[in-house]
Amino acid sequence: MAAREPAKRIIQQVRPILSVDREEARQRVINLYKAWHRTAPFIVEKFDIPKSVPQVRQKLKEEFIKNKDVSDVRVIDMLVIKGQMELKEITKIWKQKGHIMRYWQESIEYKPNDFLSKFMSGHN
Amino acid sequence: MARYFGIDKIGKLFSYIQQNGGIRNTLWKMYRMDEGKAGTLIGTDKYGNKYYEDPTQFYGRNRWVEYVEHRNLEYDGSQIPAEWFGWMHYKTDLPPHRDGNRKHYKWMADHSENLSGTTDSYMPYSTTRPKVEAWDPKKSTAQ
Amino acid sequence: MLRAPMFRALVLAQLPSRAGILFTTSRMQSNAPAKAPEKIEVFIDDQPVMVAPGTTVLQAAAQVGVEIPRFCYHERLAVAGNCRMCLVEVEKSPKPVAACAMPVMKGWRIKTNSDMTRKAREGVMEFLLSNHPLDCPICDQGGECDLQDQAMAFGSDRSRFTDINHAGKRAVEDKDIGPLVKTIMTRCIHCTRCIRFASEVAGVDDLGTTGRGNEMQVGMYVEKLFLTELSGNVIDLCPVGALTNKPYSFVARPWEIRKVDSIDVLDALGSNIVVSTRTGEVLRILPRENEDINEEWLSDKSRFACDGLKRQRLITPMLRKPDGEFEAVEWESALITAAQAIRNAPKDKIAAVAGSLVDAEQLVAVKDLLNRLGSELLCTEQKFPTADGTSGTDLRSNYLLNSSIASCEDADLVLLVGTNPRYEAPLLNTRLRKGYVHKEQDIAYIGPEVDLSYRYEYLGNRSLTIEDIAKGKHPFAQRLKQAKRPLIIVGANALARNDGKAYIAALQSFARQLKPEDKNWKVWNVLQTNASQVAALDVGYKPGVEEVLAAQPKVLFLLGADGNAVNKENIPKDCFVIYQGHHGDQGAQLAHAILPGAAYTEKQGTYVNTEGRAQQTLVAVSPPGMAREDWKIIRALSEVVGTVLPYDTLDELRNRMEDIAPHLVRYGHLEENNFYAQAEQLIKTQASSFQGDVDVNQKSLEDFFMTDSITRASPTMAKCVAAVKKAQATG
Repeated sequence: MAAREPAKRIIQQVRPILSVDREEARQRVINLYKAWHRTAPFIVEKFDIPKSVPQVRQKLKEEFIKNKDVSDVRVIDMLVIKGQMELKEITKIWKQKGHIMRYWQESIEYKPNDFLSKFMSGHN
Repeated sequence: MARYFGIDKIGKLFSYIQQNGGIRNTLWKMYRMDEGKAGTLIGTDKYGNKYYEDPTQFYGRNRWVEYVEHRNLEYDGSQIPAEWFGWMHYKTDLPPHRDGNRKHYKWMADHSENLSGTTDSYMPYSTTRPKVEAWDPKKSTAQ
Repeated sequence: MLRAPMFRALVLAQLPSRAGILFTTSRMQSNAPAKAPEKIEVFIDDQPVMVAPGTTVLQAAAQVGVEIPRFCYHERLAVAGNCRMCLVEVEKSPKPVAACAMPVMKGWRIKTNSDMTRKAREGVMEFLLSNHPLDCPICDQGGECDLQDQAMAFGSDRSRFTDINHAGKRAVEDKDIGPLVKTIMTRCIHCTRCIRFASEVAGVDDLGTTGRGNEMQVGMYVEKLFLTELSGNVIDLCPVGALTNKPYSFVARPWEIRKVDSIDVLDALGSNIVVSTRTGEVLRILPRENEDINEEWLSDKSRFACDGLKRQRLITPMLRKPDGEFEAVEWESALITAAQAIRNAPKDKIAAVAGSLVDAEQLVAVKDLLNRLGSELLCTEQKFPTADGTSGTDLRSNYLLNSSIASCEDADLVLLVGTNPRYEAPLLNTRLRKGYVHKEQDIAYIGPEVDLSYRYEYLGNRSLTIEDIAKGKHPFAQRLKQAKRPLIIVGANALARNDGKAYIAALQSFARQLKPEDKNWKVWNVLQTNASQVAALDVGYKPGVEEVLAAQPKVLFLLGADGNAVNKENIPKDCFVIYQGHHGDQGAQLAHAILPGAAYTEKQGTYVNTEGRAQQTLVAVSPPGMAREDWKIIRALSEVVGTVLPYDTLDELRNRMEDIAPHLVRYGHLEENNFYAQAEQLIKTQASSFQGDVDVNQKSLEDFFMTDSITRASPTMAKCVAAVKKAQATG
């Protein structure tokens, strides 16, 4: 009984979602990145967003780089799956203009953090 | 034949230009009203707006108003007074000066245009008493 | 005036053997001599309890947690025993006994829930209700009415009252007894609590009863106003809706209001209060029980001035335009303008004057800011004699009411100098009156002749008398020396005079010479009048504005300074004045920039009362408009100036306060004072002489109501002043 526990844990750890090793996961990420990269002109045109293709690609790069420190293969796979879902939602026009623009978060007003701006806005 | 090829429209164009008083005036009219057409003057209201009719145009576009010059581009449908409203909207074919049956009572209010978007527009205000009465520096210095 | 109230005299005659103990409440007994009489055992609902002889049945029951219903009985008033609601069965007694008036006997078995007791209560309740209108839905007491509650708990579930002849219930004409108390006399159940309060605590024998039986009426005998500084307390005492709060009438119900425990700042006692609010508005203020300060009373000013919090408020920052008019601006521009003025001023030419309603947080923040900028020009509005070079305010015992408020009633001889406690601190006056009525206290008074609500030995208003007493030449000096617990109370306004130094020098050294029986008894007492004064002196503000104005400051902070100490005449010409406060009053008129702050109901602030006890107010409503909590304004200003204060939250600021003066954050705790000898030495080095006679600021009731920016803005207080003046004019 006691001997089975660690063995079980190892099995759980290695059970893959998609990729069996880091290299395969990396390949999946690159493939996803390429797919997104190719979609950029389509996004600009179909959603009529006030952004240029380079700007979209810049944002795409930012979104990928956000997760650069993820090392768990299973987590990378999960993120890739979610990325694919996003991409599908965009190419099928299930998303709308506002959903695309949310990547830039231009309309979000952050609450003041420092004393003076809290004081001015009366938020303290 | 000429109608078939639409050549008569060229003739019409020239007659419009003529009626409008030259190319310059026609262009000015087109700038101001997006249209250069001309018709018979039916009447003028008390503000100076001119009402035209051209029966050769199709129904719905054959009556129009040319707002008084000083309005320039700041004209609005609500500047048409009530007397002319009926004629403009085909409620009646008799313009006010030819319709003898219009009653004029003294309680009738004068026409006023829609003031929305201007400084004179109506602003709702609260009638509840404020919970805290603010200090009025002018009042207290007078004491 | 009778020394013992009428009731006492009457019952004394009836029950000679038990009379002495009848009127001692359980609280008073704790002050009684240590020799404990043998306790006797009684049984309350078969629960044995040991009580001191002379304890009433009601008190004995309270000791085991059994509450007996009552209307007329009140802990702090004499026993009347006329409502009969507290009837209980005592075994082997043929009739039920009135628990509030009957002392227990050994071995009594008291049944507070027997059939007989319940029937007695039900009967009493039925009689009361047969003559009480059923107007609870429109009655202001509804929801907090003793009669309503007890009718639910102890009354019958059906009525036998049938008005077959349509004669109507008993009805009594309402009386106009002033702008504060509304009377609906039909609701009165004749508990006589208000009458006993007026004659015993307030010391005005104006209220009384006329007629007997069904014709009995509580009233003023003649048509006049119930004019006393404590009249609001009869509203709390009234168990029904006969006496209600006139400004609060038909305003709110008790179940819709939020109650916040707070501290009153309109006098220097720091009475404990409950602030009732609804929808962001302060609706009324009630007293909160605190045996050490206000017992359960509250002065009229503290209770009724709350409508002043809604008028004349500063709700936006303002800047004075070049043409002299004020202009409402945003915080940003106000702070920048103020900061520019501060930065342009020479370092040691920035000054601050603290008014009477400022909390300790703001005082500390302003002091920190100015000290960091390099200025030491901080002062309070009210003067206090200081010695040259050294300060008279270095030692706390110099400016405190050293022998706490509560022990003032234990003194046997009191000398009041240049103070009218009746109007400067009404609840201290009730203590003195209590000592006078119940404890053989003698009171002497130097100052203009005033009515203190008790008889005092009048020593004239000549300052020469003080000198004579101090030198031991006056006969009263001998009496003070012989007294076991003498007390000298000097008014802060007397010390604020130009010759205040003479007062403190003469009286303090004399106080040191007295040898009270108890080594810890403190003779020297100062009665402050401003709620902020003690905290300001504690954190190191200098008293009096002269020194600061003499330095010709270029920037002057007025922290709620509306007391006319700084005015158009004495303010330096090219000085940029920043007024920070909550009311547009005298100070705001002088300002170039106005920074709107919070009043005491709108901030969590520390106030130290005249006995040196730190207490804090809590936020009941938010500051109106763009007004902000005061210390935050200073903190924000410091950042704009570029000298950032190191605290962002109230806790951090309070840590800083603890570093400066630890007692400031020990809320509710009374700090012991010492260094009396040294304090006296500091003052003694000063030679000074008296100028003129002894005077007090508040001589009669009309001077009582409007003393600061809140009360001056209050319409109710204005009505009170008008009513008093009218009453005086008509005689």
